[in-house]
Amino acid sequence: MKLLGTKFNVPELIARIDGRLRARGLLATHQPRAAPVHDEVPIDPLSFNLHALEEHADTTRPLPLATHRGGLGQLVLAAKWTFRKTCQVFINEALARQRIFNGHVRDSYAQLSADILKLKEEVQTLRASQPRRRAPGKSAKR
Amino acid sequence: MVGPLGTVVHQIIPNFYSGDASSLAALHLQRLLRCLGHAGEIFALEVAPGMTSLVKPVSLLRALADDWVLYHHGIASPLSGRILHLRCRRGVVYHNITPARWYPRSPLRESLVAGRAQLKAMADHLDVAIADSRFNAQELIANGYQNVHVVPLFVEPERFGVDQADPATLTQLRRGGTTILSVGRIMPHKRFEDVLCLHAELLRLRPGARLVIAGEYQPGDAYFRSLRKAARGLKNVEFLGKVSHPELVAAYRAASLYVSMSEHEGFGVPLIEAMAAGVPIMAFGAGAVRETMNDSGVVFSEKQFAFLAELASELIAPSALRKAVLRAQQRRLQAFSASRVLPCLRSAIPPRRSTRRAVRNRRRVALIVQRYGEVLGGAEIHARQVANRLSRKWEITVLTTCSRDHLRWDNDFPAGSHREQRVEVQRFPCQRPRDLRSFNMLSRTLFDRPTDYGEEQRWLAEQGPYVPDLFRHLDKHRDDFEAFIFFTYLYTSTVWGVPLVGGRAILVPTAHDEPPLRFGVYQEVFALPSVLLCNTPEERELIHRRFPRHARTRLAGVGIDTSPGTPSRFRKRFHLTLPYLMYVGRIESGKGIPELLRCYAELRRCVAEPPELVLAGAGSMRIDQRGVRYIGPISERDKLDGIAGAFAVVVPSRYESLSLLALEAFSQATPVLANGESEVLKGQVDRSRAGFTYRDPGSFVRGYRQIDAERRVLGRRGLAYARRHSWKRVLEVYDEELTRIARDHR
Repeated sequence: MKLLGTKFNVPELIARIDGRLRARGLLATHQPRAAPVHDEVPIDPLSFNLHALEEHADTTRPLPLATHRGGLGQLVLAAKWTFRKTCQVFINEALARQRIFNGHVRDSYAQLSADILKLKEEVQTLRASQPRRRAPGKSAKR
Repeated sequence: MVGPLGTVVHQIIPNFYSGDASSLAALHLQRLLRCLGHAGEIFALEVAPGMTSLVKPVSLLRALADDWVLYHHGIASPLSGRILHLRCRRGVVYHNITPARWYPRSPLRESLVAGRAQLKAMADHLDVAIADSRFNAQELIANGYQNVHVVPLFVEPERFGVDQADPATLTQLRRGGTTILSVGRIMPHKRFEDVLCLHAELLRLRPGARLVIAGEYQPGDAYFRSLRKAARGLKNVEFLGKVSHPELVAAYRAASLYVSMSEHEGFGVPLIEAMAAGVPIMAFGAGAVRETMNDSGVVFSEKQFAFLAELASELIAPSALRKAVLRAQQRRLQAFSASRVLPCLRSAIPPRRSTRRAVRNRRRVALIVQRYGEVLGGAEIHARQVANRLSRKWEITVLTTCSRDHLRWDNDFPAGSHREQRVEVQRFPCQRPRDLRSFNMLSRTLFDRPTDYGEEQRWLAEQGPYVPDLFRHLDKHRDDFEAFIFFTYLYTSTVWGVPLVGGRAILVPTAHDEPPLRFGVYQEVFALPSVLLCNTPEERELIHRRFPRHARTRLAGVGIDTSPGTPSRFRKRFHLTLPYLMYVGRIESGKGIPELLRCYAELRRCVAEPPELVLAGAGSMRIDQRGVRYIGPISERDKLDGIAGAFAVVVPSRYESLSLLALEAFSQATPVLANGESEVLKGQVDRSRAGFTYRDPGSFVRGYRQIDAERRVLGRRGLAYARRHSWKRVLEVYDEELTRIARDHR
């Protein structure tokens, strides 16, 4: 156990509490559970958006059923499930053109974002190949 | 980067609703921005009902090239795309996004991941990035942001005092002794199941311990249902759900210990709230928790519940550890005050570069008042008198609204600039009328209980006047004026205007003991100006009692013209033959008219030859009572003539900061019968010895009889008192204060 706080004697406090736990016969029985540390990695927006478009282009595919409501909310959930099971053929019919349109949006986005990535790389290569004229200024502003 | 003109800083936020941490952060940020001299409004995609006075729909946002727009980013929002297409200076305020790993099968997952993708997409386009912790700032930097500033959130400790707690909740939660508290929305990453585990262990040591969890939950949510199921096996667990601010304060004030088991926090607002409420904190050191706590409280690294229960037990008891922790927390709390946060924001959004060298006339003064011209209202008449008289020496520009009526804020006068004698008057349109019904309902709700900052701001906005152009003008032309005189503390024109000019402001508060005066939102209005010019010693004392950190005060008052009126002219004009009592002012219940009418009915019952009661002024009350004459609004000349001929002048309002009417009565040697519930009126009557006060119908009748017995002596005393209130003395005070500001800020 690691405690933080400079305004009290941490080792003494830990020893005191350990002593009490030992007296209760608990010290060895409890396994510590430390939370795993995760650093949230940045998400590249171009590829994320492409994946999201791929995932959601087909409007006839259902989203997972979920509700945050109690009581009647569960009934509504059951009604939705029944509707999907019995009416999928009509859902397909109603959203057929939307599905085709979304496919075109997805493909266009994929081509455009690929072009942007390629252009960015080319700009970086060109910048890297240019001799540096002077050191960058102090300002953090771009 | 900062241009010479225009420092308006708008904010955009996806949702704005009461009790939401991001919404409160936006309001707090707006407050700080005003203190840096930046006007600006808040716009939202979705605004909760009742908040529309405070926040506009984002479709109405019109940002000019020199303006700033700050976007509050959290989970995915279309605003992240919209800000990229605004042609002005832009920034993001980042409150962090909960990692999606906590919501693997939830519909929320997509929004969380998309929010992070949007965060990265904005990085190359924005001019500034503001994070409320270093933890959040690091994520911004990792996403490619460059101009990153940490501006922590802040808390007002006085809003967490025991006097701010809901009494019923406090009594209920204090029953039974030891209470452990955890605050936050019931979401998986908050790990309330670990709080339950700790409680289970603590029950072994303290069987009477109670666990209170305060935070919004959805009854059908699977996570909440699992918690409720786990809690059923334990004693004394209470889910409070979404609570109001007074209930939240009650929860903190009833708590023996605050516990956080959250495994992701971008800042941890409840931690500083617990510090403010004087509750020792035990928190798992996840995310920004260690940074927020900064070695105050006890931060732990492992969830070993038997150990933590022993630790909690020691913190609950009146131990040396508890004392040391509380002391450290109080010290840490100082880092989260508005005054400590302000410099951080200044570095992110610098104040406008001064253009004072361009000022040609160094004697220009702006006078800001909610209404001006031919309008009824003591403070407004007072402002006009001061403006006219000061204009002999200073170049006065009045900045005001187009309204004649403060109840609706209709635009009765044309917008724009015109001259009234030597005074330039610039009028700005009110962009929203006051909805009197909803305003009165809100007032009734808030006046009887403790309130939070958001509620007070909402009340203020609903009261109005809503004149964004006035603030933009004040912001843009601040340096064209040497000093600013604000009249009346109560209205938005003062509350939102004073911070824009700070120490170059003189405030004439015209404060009296009324319910809104206890609102914390007025603290800055009384603290920031160079001086508060009070009308009476009672007003000065009241300000001192209510706002201990107020700016310097000085007595100024008003001057009184003692040239006599012509009673016969008034009697002839209004066909008056009997003696009469007179009241001049707004005919509304807030001015004490219903009580006056009751007192007058008693007078008619008790006195053989009762005088008539003449009521003059605008108003909407229906008056149909024997002996009462309502003559409507009258001119200044008629007013003086009427007062001069009255048997006595009655002043029924209990909310007075000066009472021009009483002074005008003294100037005409007419005695005064005034409401003794008003400290100010009582003071005026005691000092002048030119009248009497009443508190009920009986004392009203007695006062009338005493005036009848010594009317002539009272009149002489009143005249002598009025002569001591000369304009020469009053103007000397204004002159000295304006000169002082000119000297100090040159």
